[in-house]
Amino acid sequence: MKKILYIALVALCAACTPPATEESKVFLTEESAQELIAEGTILTLQEFKDTYMTEKGNFLSDTSLYRTRATKDGINYLFSIDTISKSEKPIYIRGRITTDDQGGNFYKSLCIQQIVDGKQQALRVSVDMGSANGLYQMGQEILIRVDGLAIGRYANQPQLCMPSYNNNIYANNYEQKIGWAPGRIPAAIFKAHTYCIGLPDMNKLVYDELNIKDFTSILNLQEARNWDGKLVRLKNVHYTGYYFTTSGTAKCTTGNPEDDTNANVFAPTTTNIGYPQTRIIEDASGNKTGISSSEYAKFAHFYLPGADQNGIDNCKNYVGDVEGILGFYNDNAKYDPAYDDWSITIRDLDDLQLKDANGQLWPRVEYKK
Amino acid sequence: MKHTILFAVLIAFSTWASAQTRLVGRVVTAEEQAIEGATITLANQGYSTTTNDEGRFSFTYLEAIDEEVIIEANGFMSDIVLTQLVQNQVTDLGDIILQADLLAEVKEEVLLNLNEMDLNDDEGKSQSVSSSASASQDVFNSTVSFAWSNARYRNRGYEQTYEQNYIQGLSFNSAERGQFNFSAMGGLNDATRYKEVVEGIEANNFSFGSVGQATNYLQSATNYAQGWKVGLAGTNRNYKGAARATYSSGLMENGWAFAAQLAWRYSPYIDVKGQIGEGITYSSIGYFLTAEKRWGDDMRLSLITFGAPTMRGQSAALTQETYDLTNQYNKTSWGHNNYNPYWGYQDGKMRNSRIVHSYDPTAIASFDWKINEENHLKVAAGYHYSFYSNSALTFYNAPDPRPDYYRNLPSALWDGQIDKNGNFIYQDANGKPLGNGGTINGSYVGPSINDDTYQAMVDLWTSRDNKATQIDWDALYAANYANNVNNPDGSARYIIERRHNDIQEAVANANYRNTSIEHLTTTVGLELKASQGIHYKSVDDLLGGNQWIDVDPFAERDIKELATNIGLTQADIENVKQNDLRNPNAVIGKNGRFGYDYRINMMNAKLWAQNEWSWNALDLYYALQVSYSSMQRTTDMLNGRAWYLAKLNPNNAWYYLADNADAVLNGQAVPERMVGYTHHFIDPAFKAGINYKVDGRNQIKLNAIAETKAPLARDAYISPRVHDRAVANIYRHDYARYYAGIYGTSALEEYFGASQKIVGGDLTYSFNYPLVRGRVTAFYTQFWNGTELNGYYDDESRTFVNQSLTGINRRHAGVEAAAAVKLGLYFTLTGALSIGDYRYTSNAMAITSAENGMALAENANGPIYELRDSVLLKGLRVATGPQLNSSLKLSFFHPDMWFADITVNYFDWSYLDYAPARRMKGLFTGTRADGSAVNGWYGDQYTNAIEKDANGDVIYDVNGVPTLKYPYSIMSQQESLTSSNPLHRFLVDVSVGKLIYLKDRQSISINLTVNNLLNNTHFKTGGYQQARLPRQTRQGVDDNKNSVISPNAWKFPSKYYYAWGTNFYLNIQYKF
Repeated sequence: MKKILYIALVALCAACTPPATEESKVFLTEESAQELIAEGTILTLQEFKDTYMTEKGNFLSDTSLYRTRATKDGINYLFSIDTISKSEKPIYIRGRITTDDQGGNFYKSLCIQQIVDGKQQALRVSVDMGSANGLYQMGQEILIRVDGLAIGRYANQPQLCMPSYNNNIYANNYEQKIGWAPGRIPAAIFKAHTYCIGLPDMNKLVYDELNIKDFTSILNLQEARNWDGKLVRLKNVHYTGYYFTTSGTAKCTTGNPEDDTNANVFAPTTTNIGYPQTRIIEDASGNKTGISSSEYAKFAHFYLPGADQNGIDNCKNYVGDVEGILGFYNDNAKYDPAYDDWSITIRDLDDLQLKDANGQLWPRVEYKK
Repeated sequence: MKHTILFAVLIAFSTWASAQTRLVGRVVTAEEQAIEGATITLANQGYSTTTNDEGRFSFTYLEAIDEEVIIEANGFMSDIVLTQLVQNQVTDLGDIILQADLLAEVKEEVLLNLNEMDLNDDEGKSQSVSSSASASQDVFNSTVSFAWSNARYRNRGYEQTYEQNYIQGLSFNSAERGQFNFSAMGGLNDATRYKEVVEGIEANNFSFGSVGQATNYLQSATNYAQGWKVGLAGTNRNYKGAARATYSSGLMENGWAFAAQLAWRYSPYIDVKGQIGEGITYSSIGYFLTAEKRWGDDMRLSLITFGAPTMRGQSAALTQETYDLTNQYNKTSWGHNNYNPYWGYQDGKMRNSRIVHSYDPTAIASFDWKINEENHLKVAAGYHYSFYSNSALTFYNAPDPRPDYYRNLPSALWDGQIDKNGNFIYQDANGKPLGNGGTINGSYVGPSINDDTYQAMVDLWTSRDNKATQIDWDALYAANYANNVNNPDGSARYIIERRHNDIQEAVANANYRNTSIEHLTTTVGLELKASQGIHYKSVDDLLGGNQWIDVDPFAERDIKELATNIGLTQADIENVKQNDLRNPNAVIGKNGRFGYDYRINMMNAKLWAQNEWSWNALDLYYALQVSYSSMQRTTDMLNGRAWYLAKLNPNNAWYYLADNADAVLNGQAVPERMVGYTHHFIDPAFKAGINYKVDGRNQIKLNAIAETKAPLARDAYISPRVHDRAVANIYRHDYARYYAGIYGTSALEEYFGASQKIVGGDLTYSFNYPLVRGRVTAFYTQFWNGTELNGYYDDESRTFVNQSLTGINRRHAGVEAAAAVKLGLYFTLTGALSIGDYRYTSNAMAITSAENGMALAENANGPIYELRDSVLLKGLRVATGPQLNSSLKLSFFHPDMWFADITVNYFDWSYLDYAPARRMKGLFTGTRADGSAVNGWYGDQYTNAIEKDANGDVIYDVNGVPTLKYPYSIMSQQESLTSSNPLHRFLVDVSVGKLIYLKDRQSISINLTVNNLLNNTHFKTGGYQQARLPRQTRQGVDDNKNSVISPNAWKFPSKYYYAWGTNFYLNIQYKF
């Protein structure tokens, strides 16, 4: 009886539940994307950077409010914002999303890549949207209308952004960062500017296979800026169990990552400052770079591959591929590119295909009190 | 001989009888239908009585004087008959016809609709519904019940749980939530037409009652006039059209009478932004069937069934910023307040995400037996199953889809740019000035906000961009379709879930009345109720996703915390996030149950007795009630957090899993339906009153009540979706002797420590003259030891927490007055005033715990899982509508059956509902009542000792910076909901109606009611503080350039409800 009554209620209400919207109506097709593009202009990611990203920026030239910091040659600047006025003729860029924030290692930012003449171009997009991967998933191609937004550099990392005032005195080298800086695009604005083209396709993601030295040896600032944000794969590397210090490197400890900033996990606490923690990897030639992880990543307190409560001695025994986003972060108050400005940011632990001599993948063990 | 004696006795009796001075009569409708329950008052002698089911009344032993007979009945125009009583004779007034008060009928309909709309079972805070829809004959209540409903006036400031609603003598207030569901009879105006209403603490012949109003809806078929009645209505409120048809057979020769009503109400989606009801759809079909069988005049059997399957879209409370941004779109000269964030376009068509389904099929049988002139027995039994569910968007690993989510508003840009006093930052951390800021769209924006970004956000809102200000359904589908490709076996990113809060109740009642002793009426009542609350979630729409995986998103996010602090293994962590450990990672399809599935079984019994003494100058009554109630939770899901809490507290695992604790912890099988502990309560109540009749026109009444009330099941369980644990006072009640030994208290004190105590009284002076009638009442009620349960997302802990409040004391004191003055033949001027002072008289105690069991703080002794702190309530006003209400109504009635009235209402002293989370003592002192520090603690690195100041408060937080102390000025002031502009405190209503009699007793009536005639769109009818407080940031700088913690108390601002602008209800009815 109860069921009959309930069915009566459901029958009354059924009319109010619309049928599912078809796939073809919620994504742009290539044809409809082209129709949009035809109403304006489209630029490649590199063209976009070259066209709009100036050295000093066009936003608030008053340096008393906007503390641009130049490199020691006095010409190149670490921070910039160039606003792009809203235009009647839309200006677009397009690219495929290469990041995923489910692992917690990317937060309110995503990277896109575009393959032009067989070569990867990349750009970071700073968006004030938690769990952005829900709407903008890895492998998804997106079309972004960029007029009305801005492009800027934060510690020389180029990014699509909007101006934001930074008053955080807890960041490293905060003196040079206080002031107007590239900030996150509010989610509502980003959604209004962005279209998804078709379904995501992970198979279309392109990885640049690199050796560590390929990027750590880049000392040309412009070139370094162009490499930032690319999706890369490093082959035959392993963790060392060390981290960078201001004077060199140091060995990770076996301390509690809740209070030991040097523990042998991916990202121990930063005592609430929030900077990414870097752990060093090395290739067969002894070249080193860092894997950068957030203390808010889900895997933050997992032991480094090969590390455990006894130390880091086994790290070198797990060798293989590392995939992730190449980052150039020129924030060490040295104002010139250096090898330790580079790092790889993994999306989740699946990006670490490190195996022992028997071909066994490294064991994932989380720190336990 | 026998016959001679009998004849002599009969003669003697008739002589004696005829020697009395008597007055008799019958009260009927224009259709000559008897009116039951009409009050007949003899103004000059002070007697009053009520009509019986045949509409008849009778007075005996009267003085032979000129008498003014006042006849009043609910829903009818009052009448006065002047007559001359003759010594030792019977004066028969014959049939007295009362004209239906057409305007009152329509107003009650509007009122019922308002109450249905406000009912929102699953919201933490919902709009306060206006007081019971029961206007009574009382001049005060009949005036204010409609006139003040738009301001959400509540009688004497009492919540709905203190108002009792009965049908045919059966209690229909929910045992679980304490409220009556007005949508059960949605649109069935005939089902609610006839009723008896008892104002608060007075003698009551159908229940013991409480401090609030008690209403008994009478639905016997013979109440309804024979014939047909059809009607059409149009309105611009939450539905747009209604049609009704009623048929009544009248009492037939075979003793049967039947009546039936069908009602249909409908509104398509209102696809006009800015219009009342935008984004709302409505559909309801109601039926009401009643049959009555009479055996002679003494026995009546009534069989009744009704129900109104209803589907209705909802609208939301909003922040002031949201109102300000949206009220200019499609604006009239006064703006509007009709933005509704719950809807969006799906494939170009409007769709609301919050759709209520409700249906309360009800069946009642009642039997009324006049055993003899002195004994009267009424028994009734009923059953109803209340389907109530509400839909909502839910999401997993995806951005919050709500357009009015705080990050989507322009003010989100202020984050980090506000100092500790709530002002914009004017200088950077290096002390350099930033400038002066500017004004954008009426909002002042500080110099650290980028004007262009702010303007872009404002533009999206003021232009009511479909993607930014409404739900972007197509994007949600796109997210799920993309997820189907990337993660085909994973959980959909977005779904619509349906939260079911059903209840089934079997009710029985016996009511016996005896008048065998002269001057005394004794009533004894027994009420029995067995109820079961049924709570679960189901998948309403997968929105294109493949499936939903049943894990708790909050728990999943907290896994790192659990792993590092508690030392759980990975397998343990997998358990914690499961909603049903016996069915882990359950794959849920459309209509599948998930999340939680529990029941609350409740038993209630009330036995009460009342003696009413009545003499010429004095009436006196007293009544006693003993109530028994019990509650027990059962669940079909073994929740991972319950398991985890049990594991964490093995000695108290029974708190969470009752008798199944050992089996669960040892990995043994447990029953499919796990049964929790039963909590039993016994509560006494006593009330008494006296009515001194100064003369026939002036009376003084004094009433008093003292009662205890067991906590409602709604407030009894800390986290019923997860585990069995009840609030602490209930365990002390359950084991009163044990705890009395521990705390040095008495067992009685512990036993009643869980119940609320109420003592109250009122004093009334009423008068009734030919030209003026009215009353003045002073009332005072004290409530002690109230219990309340809240749940909210705690930013500091980044998890969902439950907070139980106990020891809530409050006082409701005030005066209510009304007077109606006849102005000539056609006009009546009625004034009504209620001035109250409803406020909390003490602080309360809060226990806050995370639903996933994580530690919320720590002190030198280790982690703290249950935070104990005082909630600073003392002196706050109770947020149950305006505490100053007044109105002046000019009514017009012409014997040609024209009706009209205009009412000017003024409201004041209305306050925002508080969020306990914002009034914790620790926020202001840095230290909670349990000694823990609000923002962690900073101990000496060697001794671990916490550094404290002279007051014993923690000085430094976990980071070594001075402990956060929220600025009292920002947090502590209770916000007034009253507009600063006095003109905006007025609401004006107008009604007009015409009844046209046709031949053969046919008639047509037309009524129009217009509310808020002057389109006052600035009138806040309610609001609440958001419990959510932002995680403290460390940005900002004080005057000494030291770092401080900016509390950002503004970040989650209060939400408000506004009265609709001008709205109307037009009703046309044809009787034949």
